[in-house]
Amino acid sequence: MASMRNLILMAAVLAVLLIVPPFLGLGWQNALVNILIASLFALAFNLLSGQAGLLSFGHAAYFGMGAFATLHLMLAVEDGLGFPTPLLPLAGALAGLVVGLVAGYFSTMRSGVYFALVTLAFAELFHSLTPHLQGLFGGESGISSMRMPWQGIIFGSVLEVYYLTLGWVMLSILVLWAYTRTPFGRLTLAIRDNEQRVRFLGYNAHTAKMVIFAISAMFTGVAGALQAISNETANYALFGSQISAQVVLQTFVGGATIFFGPVVGAVSFTLFAYLVSDLTRSWLFYQGLIFVLVMLYAPAGIGGVVQHHMRSLRRADWTGLAKPYALAALGALLVGSAVIYLTETVAVLFGEEYSVNLRNAAGAYPGYHLFGLSWSPVSPLTWLVPLVLAGVGAVLLFKVRGTIAAKWEAMGRPETESTKAPDAAKLKGGAA
Amino acid sequence: MNKFAALAAVSTLAFCANAAQADPLKIGIIESLSGAQTSSGRLYATAVQYSVDKINAAGGFNGEDIQVVEYDNAGGATGAADKFKQAVADGVDIVIQGASSAIGGQITEDVRKHNLRNPGNEMIFINVGGEAMELTGDKCQFYHFRYTTTAPMRVNALVSAMKEAGDLGTKVFSINQNYSWGQDMQSAIESAAQDGGFEVVDAVLHDVNKIQDFAPFVARIKSSGATTVMTGNWSNDLLLLMKATGDAGLDVTFGTAYLDQPGNIANAGETALGHYIANNYDNTAGDASFAEDYKAVTGQNPIFVEPQTIFAIGALGQALEGLDFGGGAVDVTKIALALEDVTYESPVGPITVRKEDHQTIRPVVVSKVVKDAKYPADDTSMGFQSVGVVSGEDAIYPVQDSCQMKRPN
Repeated sequence: MASMRNLILMAAVLAVLLIVPPFLGLGWQNALVNILIASLFALAFNLLSGQAGLLSFGHAAYFGMGAFATLHLMLAVEDGLGFPTPLLPLAGALAGLVVGLVAGYFSTMRSGVYFALVTLAFAELFHSLTPHLQGLFGGESGISSMRMPWQGIIFGSVLEVYYLTLGWVMLSILVLWAYTRTPFGRLTLAIRDNEQRVRFLGYNAHTAKMVIFAISAMFTGVAGALQAISNETANYALFGSQISAQVVLQTFVGGATIFFGPVVGAVSFTLFAYLVSDLTRSWLFYQGLIFVLVMLYAPAGIGGVVQHHMRSLRRADWTGLAKPYALAALGALLVGSAVIYLTETVAVLFGEEYSVNLRNAAGAYPGYHLFGLSWSPVSPLTWLVPLVLAGVGAVLLFKVRGTIAAKWEAMGRPETESTKAPDAAKLKGGAA
Repeated sequence: MNKFAALAAVSTLAFCANAAQADPLKIGIIESLSGAQTSSGRLYATAVQYSVDKINAAGGFNGEDIQVVEYDNAGGATGAADKFKQAVADGVDIVIQGASSAIGGQITEDVRKHNLRNPGNEMIFINVGGEAMELTGDKCQFYHFRYTTTAPMRVNALVSAMKEAGDLGTKVFSINQNYSWGQDMQSAIESAAQDGGFEVVDAVLHDVNKIQDFAPFVARIKSSGATTVMTGNWSNDLLLLMKATGDAGLDVTFGTAYLDQPGNIANAGETALGHYIANNYDNTAGDASFAEDYKAVTGQNPIFVEPQTIFAIGALGQALEGLDFGGGAVDVTKIALALEDVTYESPVGPITVRKEDHQTIRPVVVSKVVKDAKYPADDTSMGFQSVGVVSGEDAIYPVQDSCQMKRPN
């Protein structure tokens, strides 16, 4: 039953992804391409971090390698090589696999923190080496190319790139999902849960971990390739620690213990960046805040929360839960509003525009505009608003939290939720 | 904050599929507006807004106000590529960027590809700070305009002004960061040696912003016997180099390109006194009204990269004056053609566009760090005093052979 429901859900998502984009604006089409690439990157990363329990801090290395390999192939195509444009990501896959095998051989000799440090070192090695290899990586300005037409498809518009990306991402996700169903996929989980035992059973844990690492790097390479095709350029900044950190954040916010968790994280973060980054300069602050809150109150990630509810879909007392949930949402909304209000107010009051007004006002504190209203920094109302919002919201949340917990407790644990979560403490510690 | 309203409008625009060409001219600033590089990104954005407000106060363009949209590239070329696509979706006509040559290289390529694929719907890239030679060399193209100096212009100006002041010895040490800008600087220093009558006693390229201790380099400077150090270093690489030289008690004069970066003078302190910088402008070189007006609007004197940005938008405004699309669609190619013919009178001299590679021919101001300056830097008593303005004709260098510009028909 459940698998049937999932199948229908996926078919619906795929249909939307196929049908809707032509009716969207260029901005949204771009955002969707970014979302798809980020999703694949996060899924490939999670094969290693969530499923095998090996937290890598250097996945930018394989992402960047995939991008550069693809760009070199694109340059060759520009010079007349007869390679079909839609198959370009194969170059990224190959580069990711080869580099992943080498890096994986060394880094999987250790586990835990030491493993993470070796992966970090690999990424940093590429990051500092590549700007000096002018011929291969084009110095700090990088290399760029152009998508060549193939079989009457020009690959000039964003929409064409979107469908190419969609095809590759869907294919990769399918393969990654099928992987979890194979015996080797089971072995991957076993390594996470008890590596010693796996060794005792006669498996070569090091080889297995190296292969898992290489597969993860290969799909990361495909994601890098898709980004190279979309941007038609790459430079050494792709190897930067920011890219490695971003995928860790996305995966853990989405939920590392669930197959589709990283996709949830990647979608939320990419959408958030698309919608908010030009709206306020404090967007990175909000992004960090969301990460901290999710880690504190939903360590299994957004995906974990969704999965918990999906599993209890039939047995949960939804009518009883509706009211406390609505109250909790209201409380969160109030507290959220207060935080946004305060952040933006501080941004205005300490901004350069206000400092000019302050100087011109000669001693007085001039008013300012925010959220379409006028405020005065010396009026008590200005500071009462966030105080009241936060206060009421906090009281609501505090009160309703107990009610919700009691209701769930009363329903008991669902029997399907016995699948063991990975060592949450270890994962959390690594992400901090 | 009316930015929220503007952005809401822009977002709705993005929703409407392939929105028809809007009438107002749209300028997109793709800068680093969050994270570590925010401070210089903001300088560009502030200067653009200041200049566009001036054009709008004089009646705008095409019957509308010119719109400015800010895009945060998050400090990287990938972010810039992404925001460039967003700018295309928003119907931006002119893109402005300056903080990084790497990002500039990305945007100029993006603009070139966009224009190839969308004839009749072109975009212009006004580069207000990317000084890599390849932008007007290998990557030169008709729709890119560089409204700043390059390494040879800065070095030639430094050499001639320092020589005149008697501060240019016969032995020069060249130390630069090992990437395209540093390499450009080094070759510019080496090729200026003959005309400048000096010898480059040693040339060093080092890692970018990774070195904490410059003592070994200072030892090398000392043993080379150089009296002048020329460097294109910026940020920490310049500060730490100058401090290490000061700590070693070495008596050399620095010829720099980025000493006026906000914070440098306060950080370097007395060590900075007597050293030179070549830049697009200095407040002591032009007439005071330019600085006063800017201060009245933005709260601070125009510094670092702000003047060149103001000149660039000023030149654009002048190009727009001669154009009239009667409220209809904006023809970006016509704007580019008009911009080629503009002679912009900056407070220190005329700025023109060289048609062969779209590098601007512009005066370069050389100034020296002095005590009790007229325009103090970073709340210290020190500041810059102009010692000479090298005219555009004297500062310019020949067009690079690698530039093969394809002009529109």
